[in-house]
Amino acid sequence: MHKLKIGPANSFFGFIAAGLIIFIVSSKFDDLLVYQGASVMMFVIAISSIILLTGYSGQISLGHGAFLGVGGYAAALARNNLNLPIIVCVIIGVLAAAIAGALIGLSAARLSGPYLAGSTLALAVGLPSIVNQFDSLGGEQGLFFDVGAPPAFLGEGFSPYRWFFYAATMAMLISVWGIRNLLNSRYGRTWRAVRGNDVAAQLSGINIARSRILAFTVSAGIAGLAGVILAMTLGTVSPGAYPLVLSFSLATGAVLSGVNTLGGVIIGAVTLVAIPEIADSISHRFGGSEVMTTNLPGILVSTLLILTVLFVPNGPVEQMRLTRNKKRAHAQR
Amino acid sequence: MINLLNTFLNGITSGAIYSLMAISMVLVWRSTRVVNFAQAGMALLSCYFGYEAVQRTGSFWIGLVVAMIAGALVAAVIEFGFMRILLKHSSQGPIASVAPIIATLGLLGLIKGVIGLVWGNADVVIEPPFSVVGFKIGENTLTFSPLKLLTLVTVTVLLLIMTWLFQRTNLGLALRASAHEPEISRLAGVKVDLVRTLGWALAGAAGAAAGMLQAITGSGGMNPDSIEFRLLLVFGFIAAVIGGLDSMIGALVGGMILGLVLAFTLTYASGSLVFITAFVLLLVLLIVRPQGVIGQKAGRRA
Amino acid sequence: MTQINRRKLFSASAVMAVVALAASVMPAQAAGEVGVTNTSVKFGITSPKTGAAAPGYEKIPGAIKAYFDYVNDKGGINGRKLTLVSRDDQYVPATAVQNAIKLINTDKVFALLGTLGTASTKAITGPAGPATVYKVPTLFVNTGFSGFADKKKYPTTFALLPSYAMEAKVIAKYIKDKYAGKKVGIVYQDDDFGKDALAGFKTAGLTFDVAVPYASLSQGVATVPPTWIQKLSTAKAEVVVMFGVSSATTALLGNAYALGYKPQWVLASIGGDATTIASAKKIPIALMAGAKGLSFAPSPNDSKDEWIAQFMEINTKYNPGVAFDNNIVAGMTTAFLTAQAVKAAGQNLTRKGIVAAIEKSGSTFANPSLAPLGYSSTSHVGATGYWVGTYDTTGGLNADGGKYTVYTTDSGSGAVVESTFKRPAMPENGLPK
Repeated sequence: MHKLKIGPANSFFGFIAAGLIIFIVSSKFDDLLVYQGASVMMFVIAISSIILLTGYSGQISLGHGAFLGVGGYAAALARNNLNLPIIVCVIIGVLAAAIAGALIGLSAARLSGPYLAGSTLALAVGLPSIVNQFDSLGGEQGLFFDVGAPPAFLGEGFSPYRWFFYAATMAMLISVWGIRNLLNSRYGRTWRAVRGNDVAAQLSGINIARSRILAFTVSAGIAGLAGVILAMTLGTVSPGAYPLVLSFSLATGAVLSGVNTLGGVIIGAVTLVAIPEIADSISHRFGGSEVMTTNLPGILVSTLLILTVLFVPNGPVEQMRLTRNKKRAHAQR
Repeated sequence: MINLLNTFLNGITSGAIYSLMAISMVLVWRSTRVVNFAQAGMALLSCYFGYEAVQRTGSFWIGLVVAMIAGALVAAVIEFGFMRILLKHSSQGPIASVAPIIATLGLLGLIKGVIGLVWGNADVVIEPPFSVVGFKIGENTLTFSPLKLLTLVTVTVLLLIMTWLFQRTNLGLALRASAHEPEISRLAGVKVDLVRTLGWALAGAAGAAAGMLQAITGSGGMNPDSIEFRLLLVFGFIAAVIGGLDSMIGALVGGMILGLVLAFTLTYASGSLVFITAFVLLLVLLIVRPQGVIGQKAGRRA
Repeated sequence: MTQINRRKLFSASAVMAVVALAASVMPAQAAGEVGVTNTSVKFGITSPKTGAAAPGYEKIPGAIKAYFDYVNDKGGINGRKLTLVSRDDQYVPATAVQNAIKLINTDKVFALLGTLGTASTKAITGPAGPATVYKVPTLFVNTGFSGFADKKKYPTTFALLPSYAMEAKVIAKYIKDKYAGKKVGIVYQDDDFGKDALAGFKTAGLTFDVAVPYASLSQGVATVPPTWIQKLSTAKAEVVVMFGVSSATTALLGNAYALGYKPQWVLASIGGDATTIASAKKIPIALMAGAKGLSFAPSPNDSKDEWIAQFMEINTKYNPGVAFDNNIVAGMTTAFLTAQAVKAAGQNLTRKGIVAAIEKSGSTFANPSLAPLGYSSTSHVGATGYWVGTYDTTGGLNADGGKYTVYTTDSGSGAVVESTFKRPAMPENGLPK
């Protein structure tokens, strides 16, 4: 069979192409849709960080929301107190989250399965609450995060929400391209090796602890980027913006996308943003009460998650590939 | 001095409830090697049934019994109808370690949503059966009331019953055997699957009891998003891990340690540090003594 | 081969997803103010209708709508009917922002009103918030954060409630007058809202013998309240001010009862809503009896007051089945002021116009508040004072001595004075003039 060698250059152009398509198509959308689009991009970034950590490195995290929070708060603090340009604040957010990830990774490297899950769960619940301990963190109300007006070259009166969407999309394209290359590189292979059979990996000279800590660090840093994007769209950071349910949503989104490959990440992200809207229309169509509107999204998402784990455990993208390979193998007989 | 006494009493009361929840998680772990994050959700659901019973009969005790029965049934149904299918489908492939955890998370979300749909999201209150006014020592009133005393007594009684069940009866023997050596047990004639369902049922009842006690000693109300049930979930798990996931005594010890540490943090440090203290405690323990305070050294890889 | 496919699949799925999101193409807005037609004007509100913070507040949109229906039945304002679109944000700021965007972009409201909660209102009206971005006025917000009165920071937002700083200063004067020499303690929520109050106490020169901050219970731990009582009783506080939300007030009163601690309570208005506390059913409402409370509108029990009587009538006819309490009063007050502002803005109704109208004549609008309104071209502050009363065993707040003694002040360093403000008579039938 023909095997084309795809070097980094080609996939780079592929990403540029995707970006252009997104920009062109979205110019027709109204502000509400682009605002939601920015949320989708945020979820894409956050979910890919989970795919890296769980799908590739095999470490489960139920508390990634905490890393988003670290990123968001670090960026907001840098912006408010040091008045740095936004790009620098974003980088600060990513670095802060990465450092947090390294620290957690150090302790978590020896844990696995439910122990890791429970520890990250405790982190997700624990971290936001310390915000109330330190005055400078703004307490329950949180801090403002003002990224400023859209750049002048976009023209007067350019909608800030459209600008958020562009910024989020650019962040998404850059980070996903970066992650993809990382996953296809030696590091990605090492992670997969450790996840598959850590004894064998160790025997072949891989330092397991270092590999896992690295995964945590990178994953947390990316999650921090998502956190900054989230803060940008809300205009504020507060403990309420990074609740436990966010961490659960990310895990859910990762499973819905297929936790082992990056290809389906957009599916999970769109589902997470679209479900509340769909639930809203359903309950309005059927004359539902407020109670229904509140609870329906949770029920829909949970059901989807359970069905996915049961029937499409590898995620839709991987599933399609497996089915295709099976068919191909079958056809070759 | 009074502060110290109060803190200690608060600690063992809340610790008792966490122990009960931890035991419920340990039971599930020992029978299926799965950490069931939906445990707290199932407990919550059973408590709503308990609430209905209290509303209709005016008696907390009937409510407690109904909740425990409901808890057992809910757990059994979930084990039979959900967990078995799940474990069968996901025992291979890279998703294996992660699937049950994620699935139980999904189950948790589903249960919460259903509760909200049926009972609404507003707080629902169960009247405590005993007085909340604290006992007096001389001039000072303690934070320890007849209600809290009742909680301790109830937990103790339940723990004694469960220990007796596990150590002294054939059922308990079958439960322990099927968890450790399912094949041999099957050969010995033990109906392993049935026994596993029973294990879950017991866990469900324990969780329901923990929930009911939490509902009356906490802020007084419960709702699907309630902080207290989130606490029950996180602290129950932490307590179980501190004690060593394999041991019931461990769950008790773990719960007490957690309850006391948190109570002291609350009184002498600050309320906002409680969760992070629990996290640090958990992390330190897992690093220093991964098998838990009581547990045997065994494979920590799940 | 698989590598090409994976990349293509990713790009393709990205495009498909993005196209799938395209629900509709919205044309540019035609000329004429948004949300206004010759026969109607549309308002929007986002507030908690479900969720933990909802009890009590959930009544407000219905109350506003009831008043609007009443006005519409009587011919509307300048020939226009007032309509209200209401969305539920469950007291979550992120949802409030999304709702605001939907109200502005999809529902196309003329203005927002009555948003609830400091965090949500800040997110909506802050520098990056939708109200600022789309230049939509936010009228009569339901929060006491003093910042919203600042015209420079929030140019199109109007406060209604007296600020927390004002309330703190009034409480301080009251305590200094009536409880001189006693030990005073305070329990306050440890964030912007509580700190606003602390600043007010400091300005008014009241020092506390014991101060107990608490983390908002939504993030915190429910087992905390007994420690508050421990700290208060150890310091032997005889008068305790409670500056926290209703759930915290409930916990405070309940735990004090359990520990046999009985100081003189002074409950700030935000946490003293008896309906919310009663509907939570966690403590018997009689525990509130004897506590001091504050309000700026007449007590809902005061059926002799012309405004209360009129609102009661409107509530019975247009909002049947809903019990009348201070949330209804709050909602209808907001609605009345809105209608009055629409009238004052004239036939040519624009967003800029309504803002100017409130700045120009808002302080003279007749309305139920017993304290004067402070709207001007330099300030967007609403009511500027409080009266003090005592709760009875049913949770009703009754003015001390049977008459309303209103104290007015500002959010800054101005003194607290007993007000001589005479509330203007209610216009006929409770309709704006």
